[in-house]
Amino acid sequence: MSDHLSEQELRERLNLIESMIAEGRRHTQNWGWAFILWGVAYYVAMGWSAWSSSSWWAWPVTMVAAAGITIAIASSKAGDHPRTTLGRGVGSIWIASGVSMFVLFLALSMSGRLTDPRLFAAIASAMLGTANGASAILLRWRLQMGCAIVWWAAAVAVCFVTGTQSIVVFLLAIFLCQIVFGIYGAIAGAGKNKPRIPAHA
Amino acid sequence: MPELPELDPVVHGRLRLALLSLLSGVDQAEFTWLRARTESTDGNLGAQLLKLEQAGYVTVEKKFVSRKPQSLYRITEAGRHALAEYVRSLKQLLSLGPPVEL
Repeated sequence: MSDHLSEQELRERLNLIESMIAEGRRHTQNWGWAFILWGVAYYVAMGWSAWSSSSWWAWPVTMVAAAGITIAIASSKAGDHPRTTLGRGVGSIWIASGVSMFVLFLALSMSGRLTDPRLFAAIASAMLGTANGASAILLRWRLQMGCAIVWWAAAVAVCFVTGTQSIVVFLLAIFLCQIVFGIYGAIAGAGKNKPRIPAHA
Repeated sequence: MPELPELDPVVHGRLRLALLSLLSGVDQAEFTWLRARTESTDGNLGAQLLKLEQAGYVTVEKKFVSRKPQSLYRITEAGRHALAEYVRSLKQLLSLGPPVEL
């Protein structure tokens, strides 16, 4: 079989292998829509809890609904993307952070200890900073590391301002790191995962 | 004179080689994703994947998700080994100087 192969053909085969392995490894799902969805969910929950008489239900109901929509959309898109170790690693960070925040805030709220909005904003911002930071390191994505820094800065800032100001800081961080970053991710990701090398038999 | 290494004919096909390489970089991949990455047709892709499956280099899991059929492909240990052997042989052939027409 190797008798009639030119050096060019051999090198071309090696290049094909390298490019295809890299293609599979670098392929990640586009999660821009999830950032936008969760950003809107935070706004809905905050608006509901501020202006409704049934404010206790605002966060648990909105978060469970957002989680349900995320699972439904992610399942419908699952076939379009390969399952990779990198994808599983990034996903695990967000799932673990989400569950931690949900359980912690539910317990704090039920026990009546979540009385200071600054406490809520500081914990939520710090945890979102952690998830974004870990994701950014795994994906080597500077822009997402920028989001992590914004969240960490927000977590620190809300400790030194009034309750109302802390809500404004939190809303601003959501706008930048969820809505704007999500829109950017959705647009950038749409053109990124196109095939590069045709490989016909 | 060193003996020339043989290239595995199952791995050597351009599309099959691309498929094995793609699958070696992921845990599992769906048929449509492989088709998009390789820009191949359904018929050709299916035929080449079947050859790889028959050689024991990939496995397929067929299921329905939201009533839509889904074929998930994974590279096997034998497939990974065959790809590694193929790369080793290629490098060996290339390092034997400018053999070009061997």
